[in-house]
Amino acid sequence: MTSVTSAEVLFRLQGHSVSHGRHRVLHDINLSIYAGEKVALIGPSGAGKSTLLDCLYPQQAAYTALCPQQGGLVDILSVYQNIYMGGLERHHALYNLWNLLRPRPADKAQVSELTRLLGIDDKLWHSVDKLSGGQRQRVAIGRALFRQQPIFFGDEPVSALDPTQAEAVLKMLIDRHQTLIVTLHNRRLALTHFNRVIALRDGFIHYDGAAADLSEQQLDALYAQ
Amino acid sequence: MPNNRHWEINSTGKKLALLSLLFLLSALICIPFADLKIYPSEPWRELGRIAWGFVTPWWDDPWLLVQALGQTIAFALLAVVLAVPVGMLLAMLWHWRVVRMLAASVRAVHEIFWGLLFMQLWGLSATTGLLAILIPYSGVFAKVFAEIFTRQSPLPQATLAPASDRFSRYAYTLIPQAFAELSHYVRYRFECALRSSAILGFIGLPTLGFHLETAFKQGQYSEAAALLWVFFILIATIRFWLQPKLLPVYVIAAIWLLPETPPVSGGMLWQFISEDIWPRSLQDGDLSAALSWYARVFTSEAWPALLQTLMLTQLALVLTGAIALMVYPLGSRALAGRYRLPGRGLLLVLRSTPEMMFAFVLLLLFGPSGLPAVVALALHNGGLIGFLAAGHSEKQIQRLDDPSGMNRYLYQQTPRLYPGFLAFLFYRWEVILRESAIMGILGIATLGFFIDSAFEELRYDKAFFLILVTALLNILVDSVSRRLRRVSGAEDAGGLG
Amino acid sequence: MKSITRVLSLLAMFSASLLANAETFVFTAIPDEDESRLQQRFNKVADYLTEQLGVEVKYIPVKSYSAAITAFRNDQVQLAWFGGLSGVQARRIVDGSEAIAQGYEDQFFKSYIIAHKSAGLTPAETLSDALKGKTFTFGSKGSTSGRLMPEFYLREHFNAAPADVFERVGFSGDHSRTIAQVQSGAYQVGAVNYSVWDAEVAAGKIDTNSVQVIWTTPTYPDYQWTIRGDVDARFGEGFKEKVRTTLLNMTDKDLLASFPRQSFVPASNADYAPIEDTAKAIGLID
Repeated sequence: MTSVTSAEVLFRLQGHSVSHGRHRVLHDINLSIYAGEKVALIGPSGAGKSTLLDCLYPQQAAYTALCPQQGGLVDILSVYQNIYMGGLERHHALYNLWNLLRPRPADKAQVSELTRLLGIDDKLWHSVDKLSGGQRQRVAIGRALFRQQPIFFGDEPVSALDPTQAEAVLKMLIDRHQTLIVTLHNRRLALTHFNRVIALRDGFIHYDGAAADLSEQQLDALYAQ
Repeated sequence: MPNNRHWEINSTGKKLALLSLLFLLSALICIPFADLKIYPSEPWRELGRIAWGFVTPWWDDPWLLVQALGQTIAFALLAVVLAVPVGMLLAMLWHWRVVRMLAASVRAVHEIFWGLLFMQLWGLSATTGLLAILIPYSGVFAKVFAEIFTRQSPLPQATLAPASDRFSRYAYTLIPQAFAELSHYVRYRFECALRSSAILGFIGLPTLGFHLETAFKQGQYSEAAALLWVFFILIATIRFWLQPKLLPVYVIAAIWLLPETPPVSGGMLWQFISEDIWPRSLQDGDLSAALSWYARVFTSEAWPALLQTLMLTQLALVLTGAIALMVYPLGSRALAGRYRLPGRGLLLVLRSTPEMMFAFVLLLLFGPSGLPAVVALALHNGGLIGFLAAGHSEKQIQRLDDPSGMNRYLYQQTPRLYPGFLAFLFYRWEVILRESAIMGILGIATLGFFIDSAFEELRYDKAFFLILVTALLNILVDSVSRRLRRVSGAEDAGGLG
Repeated sequence: MKSITRVLSLLAMFSASLLANAETFVFTAIPDEDESRLQQRFNKVADYLTEQLGVEVKYIPVKSYSAAITAFRNDQVQLAWFGGLSGVQARRIVDGSEAIAQGYEDQFFKSYIIAHKSAGLTPAETLSDALKGKTFTFGSKGSTSGRLMPEFYLREHFNAAPADVFERVGFSGDHSRTIAQVQSGAYQVGAVNYSVWDAEVAAGKIDTNSVQVIWTTPTYPDYQWTIRGDVDARFGEGFKEKVRTTLLNMTDKDLLASFPRQSFVPASNADYAPIEDTAKAIGLID
């Protein structure tokens, strides 16, 4: 499944800056991320977390399952199809077209197993526009899981889930991916499940190190107005 | 837009007003040069007969009517059913310049001229009728579908594997994302296809237009009116009979209804492509004689006709806009309330009556000149845009404290509609250009007049060249209109081109 | 079964070659007046021909002379009732094709120049110079009586193209419309087929106070039956003669009324040499 060996540098930025119009979003970013690392990106809104994900993603696009903030769901398609499309590249176009009309039992079994784990198996054939925010988020995660890649990128992937669900889903993501880069608002989740934390503020790296070494004080300073 | 230009305008409304003013000005400049003379006439006797015929429709052979109606629908339906996948395929390949050029050039030629071209090969057959609609419509679908796709969110695509193939990606993301907009557009286009199909009867296909043209030119106005009324009802009731579930049944029925295609030898096709459409001198290998032939046709016919066509188009376009703004409130629930039914009827009659009929009636009124042409084109297209605008005006969200009457029209409905309205109008620009072709009956030498003459004289080399010139002019106008739409911000026509 | 053949014909639309359907003899006709109900009227003619010729004969309706010529060239029809000019054009592009019969009236056909009273023109033996600067409409662009012959005589008299003689030259597309447009004064002057005019006057459709004939052209040959040269090879030796005889022997008034002619008389390609010369003189054909 993977050609990535551990201790290999997967992502690297050197002196990287990004501007949107006249507004500078990222300033002089230097970082390397190694295979096997589980990185939480934290920081206040507008700090540049999503932009940083966008910069890193192309470096390993072929091996990365992406779960963007708005989910990227296709409203009129069912939960099943929305998850299935994570694996389009595994079949040729005609097979995929046929699946839109009449899914094959093998694919159905695989996808419904995922939805069972995510707790949305009763909605498998509902179109996603009929789902609640939390359900939609789990569909988006289902799609990312169905990508079956060693790396996972998530932009607030569990923000709409209740604390118990969020924890369970995050565990599942961590179990099934070798390397993760996830933006999170929930500090507790970031500190307990990830081994490296990168904190951004106003486009600068405010902290980059082991989760265990990050003090309450530093965290408060990060979010201070 | 880069903001280093000192004339940059920070109000969209001002920008649109300025653009509209520019168009109005260009039309005003055309007036002294355009041929708009009014001749005194005594039209009342003939107009009286036409009016009487219109209110006393009569047709004595119901079976013939049913047949013509069936074939009108059959051509339109099959052509659209085939053109949608072709257009979709082209839209998926829109990033290739050659595809964009191909789509622009096939939609630059009017259905009637495609029909005349294919008639040389397949006679008056199913093939001729289908291809005449299918080919230009594929080009239109490709363009509009591609525009709709660019308006969709790119996020769903971003979560797919970069290695997944283009067709699967479209099938799972962009097409379902845009499904409502796409199907709305196809429905609207189907109505246009019914009109195209009917009009192809004018050159001999067995649709409603065949009998309509005959009845009209022979002064059997009651019969002409019967056909028109049937056509109006057909258009007005589309939403009742065009049920997606019934589509397979309709398609099978349509295939069964099509006229037979007579045998055509491959040699004929080859002769047409390799000989008929090229001047004699070119076939003989005499390049300089061929060039001078092309130059002669260009300077004696194409160029003056081109100027004439452009001027007429400009005037017709501005008048179309004015008429559309005047008539749309009549058909809008938000403005006309429960009195909108007669307004809707008017919009239906305006957009469904072929321009040729308007031109004939106006010719009787004003005498032969560019004036009946401009007014005929503007009535037809103004009715069409008015209808689309009325539909949009109804979709606007309303509040309890909204103003009413004239204030609502001036301060709410019209300003909200205006960008979309201008975008429609720019789309229609190239359509009006193509439609000015029929104005030969008015003694106005537009490009279409010369193309028609060339076909009549069996000079396919000249017809082909003039069609090429028309297509190029059309591509040019299309690209100017695209640029203007972008600059003015009137880009989104709500998927109705 | 029928629907299957339709499906097949649809599928065959993109392939140029199809099996030739040799059994059916197909003809077309555009009469110079009353084009309504063509199919019904000419189906009767087809039935008559089927009975007399012993092969299946079918009629297909067309809308214009050029469409008729195209169908004739492409062998989609083997026999056609052409106007003088369209017959000449068709025979030029189909080798071996032949004019075999014409209407009795077509031996000495003529056109009228008609004028609205506001033009201030009166009937005369020669074309009047007062025509200059008037608005003028022909009929269909490919019509012999509505365009070719009137244009020829106009050019002969004024020594100039119609566009230079008149203020405006239109093409109404049809004789009946020419009459309607001149009668209403939309155009001041027009050229029209004499038999259409006479028929409409007889039917009381014309207000002769507002529109009248001001000049009549000399006579010329017009409508004729033209047949493809290869019919003998396809339908049997002597088929062409059989068609000619069948046409000449058509006496049923009901059938003849479709054209409308009182009878058919023999004709040959040579009868139409004057038309061909005229078309060349005007530049309609090279």
